Amino acid sequence: MGIGKRPFYYKDLIEQMDYAGTGSLSIILLISLFIGMALSLQLSAELSRVGLKMYTGKVVGISIIREIGPVLTAVVFAGRVGSGMASELGSMVLGHQVDTLRVFGLDPIKKLVVPRILSAILMLPVLTIIGDAASLMGAYYIAVFVSHQSGAFYWSSIREVLVYENVLAGSIKPFIFGYLIACISCYMGLSTKGGAIGLRRTTTKAVVISFITIIIADFLLTRILLYLLGFTV
Amino acid sequence: MILFDRVSFSYGSRPVLKEMSFYIEEKEKVAILGGSGDGKTTILKLILGLLKPDSGRIWIDGVDITDKKEEELREIRTKFSIVFQEGALFDSLTVKENVAFPLREYTQMSEEEIDQKVRELLRGVGLEEAMNLMPEELSGGMHRRVAIMRSLAAFEPKMFLYDEPTSGLDPVNADIICQLILSLSSKGRGFIVVTHKIFDAFKLAERFMFLKSGRILFDGDKERMLQSELLEIKIFLKEIPFP
Repeated sequence: MGIGKRPFYYKDLIEQMDYAGTGSLSIILLISLFIGMALSLQLSAELSRVGLKMYTGKVVGISIIREIGPVLTAVVFAGRVGSGMASELGSMVLGHQVDTLRVFGLDPIKKLVVPRILSAILMLPVLTIIGDAASLMGAYYIAVFVSHQSGAFYWSSIREVLVYENVLAGSIKPFIFGYLIACISCYMGLSTKGGAIGLRRTTTKAVVISFITIIIADFLLTRILLYLLGFTV
Repeated sequence: MILFDRVSFSYGSRPVLKEMSFYIEEKEKVAILGGSGDGKTTILKLILGLLKPDSGRIWIDGVDITDKKEEELREIRTKFSIVFQEGALFDSLTVKENVAFPLREYTQMSEEEIDQKVRELLRGVGLEEAMNLMPEELSGGMHRRVAIMRSLAAFEPKMFLYDEPTSGLDPVNADIICQLILSLSSKGRGFIVVTHKIFDAFKLAERFMFLKSGRILFDGDKERMLQSELLEIKIFLKEIPFP
């Protein structure tokens, strides 16, 4: 892929990080907040039937940090950033802008693809952490103000699940998801043919394939990480 | 300068060029005519090594470029200046940044020198005032003029390649582009213009190649073309109000 080879396009990398990171922040915050609230509602309702309502924080924490946070953020990222990458590169192909780069002697992979892959690898983990925090805040609001649980107990439950194993399991996934989303989206974008219909087809494909890949990769990573971290199933 | 030796090319299962052979001199002014999908743009891309032929050989300045790698083609590409259909300006850059792009990539010029050079180039085509506009804010004619200046910014090409330079333009803007093309070639540099507008082709070129179904149906000068009995050419010639 040439990620480690010169020349590096720092300006393009910064632009892509801004688009992928700053541009996705508000939507990630909003979706994560409401997912956290919905999850907390569901768990509070179900756990209170068996008298275990006080475990809401713990279950919410594990679910969000290990599983829902990374997957949800990656899916939103694929929908917003991945589709943007595919359509932007696709329209550059159709408008002969990629050919123009080649005529000017530039490698389109280094100029266009590498900054996008690096930005996804760097920004998705950051967005995941922010999304996790928003989800936990949403869940806290429901647990305390709707389900009338103790706030101090909720946060102590969350602190309990913020152990090395859970944090590691949740933080490795976004790096891999980011890499996969960017590779799929860039490949699809650069393979665009056939005008507006072709562009629609490749953008849709990029998002759908990214979604499927995220879900399958999540299962495989979960299996591997649980095994490596010594969890018994 | 450009030699095609029995070159064939296809997009997937659709053949576009079939065993095509021709030779174009450096100073020639050539128009490649034909209908949509007859392989006109493909020829330009093959000349630059942006596409590889399925069979046959392509020679540029005595060098066989057919199997050359991307990095080896860099020097070959500097011999040409290409303007793609609709200009192919980078959407995310201003007019100034578009023209400065090859200068930044290829030269060691300071920002001040780049600014001066860009102003000079844009002034030459009456677009100095449009320097800070985005490509989406330009008209079709302005787009092409900026693209032509960008292609000239960093190189001294031996030959110009134009892909449908006047398509989609009104007659006034099309004429401005034609005059610009002619003025750039006045220093003895040749060009290949790909077009389906016979009227503009007659304004520009001295040699005409007419493509049909992946083959050269006609190759000759204006007089011979006007006298041609080929049905396809007669249909094209109907476009000219006063031949």
